[in-house]
Amino acid sequence: MKKLSMWIGISLGALLVIAFVALSVMAGGPKDALYMVRYALPHMHRGNLKLGDSAPDARVFALNGSETFHIRERTGAKPLVIVFGSFT
Amino acid sequence: MQIFNDYKDRADFLTVYVREAHPADEWQMKSNVKDDVCYAQPRKLSDRLAIANDFIKRFQFPLPFGVDDMNNAANDAYAAWPERLYIIDENGKIAYRGGMGPFNYHPSEVRTWLATRYGEVKHPEAKPAETKTDANR
Repeated sequence: MKKLSMWIGISLGALLVIAFVALSVMAGGPKDALYMVRYALPHMHRGNLKLGDSAPDARVFALNGSETFHIRERTGAKPLVIVFGSFT
Repeated sequence: MQIFNDYKDRADFLTVYVREAHPADEWQMKSNVKDDVCYAQPRKLSDRLAIANDFIKRFQFPLPFGVDDMNNAANDAYAAWPERLYIIDENGKIAYRGGMGPFNYHPSEVRTWLATRYGEVKHPEAKPAETKTDANR
C-alpha cells in the first residue's frame, strides 16, 4: 500500500513536470509559463456568446477621447467584423 | 489588413482596443522589448488612449477604431482579451466568434466567412525574388 502511494505520487509529480515543460515550450519559457497560468488561464473559459446570439453592446471611446459611440451603432447595414486586441 | 482592403466595400470593420495583453508591469514579452513596444497597463483612460494613438501612428492603421472604457465593458461583453475576432451580421446576431488569441486567433476564418458570402478575392501570385547573379548586379 505504501509502495502504491509512492508510485502514485511519483506519477503525479512526473505528470506535473511534463505539463510544466510543455507549457514552457508553448509559452516561450518557464517564466512565461507561470505568467500564462496567472494571466491567461483565468480568461480561457470566459464568455458564453454563441453563434446566433444577439451581439452585446458596449460604449467605446473614439481616439480623441472626447467622443464615444456604441458598438451596435456600427451594425445593421453590412456585416461588422470586430477585431479586439491591444498593442502589446 | 489585407482582409480589410479586400472586403471593406462589402463589410464594415471596427477595431476595439482593450486592456494590454503584455504590459511591462505584468506579462511582458521579450519580443515587445525588442520591438520597443513597452507600456505599463493603463490605469486611466488618457493612458489607454495614448497607447491606442501610438499604435495607429506606428502602423498607419486604417481600420475604424474604438477604445474600451476603463471598466472594460467591451472586453467583458465579448470575452475579448487578449485578442479575438467576431462577425456580427446585419440582424445584429453573432455570425462568427473566433477563438481566444493568440493560439486560436485566425483571421483566415474571417476571410473564409466573407469569401463564402461575397466571393473570394484573388491576388496575383507574388513574384519570386530575383536571384542576384553577376549578369544583373
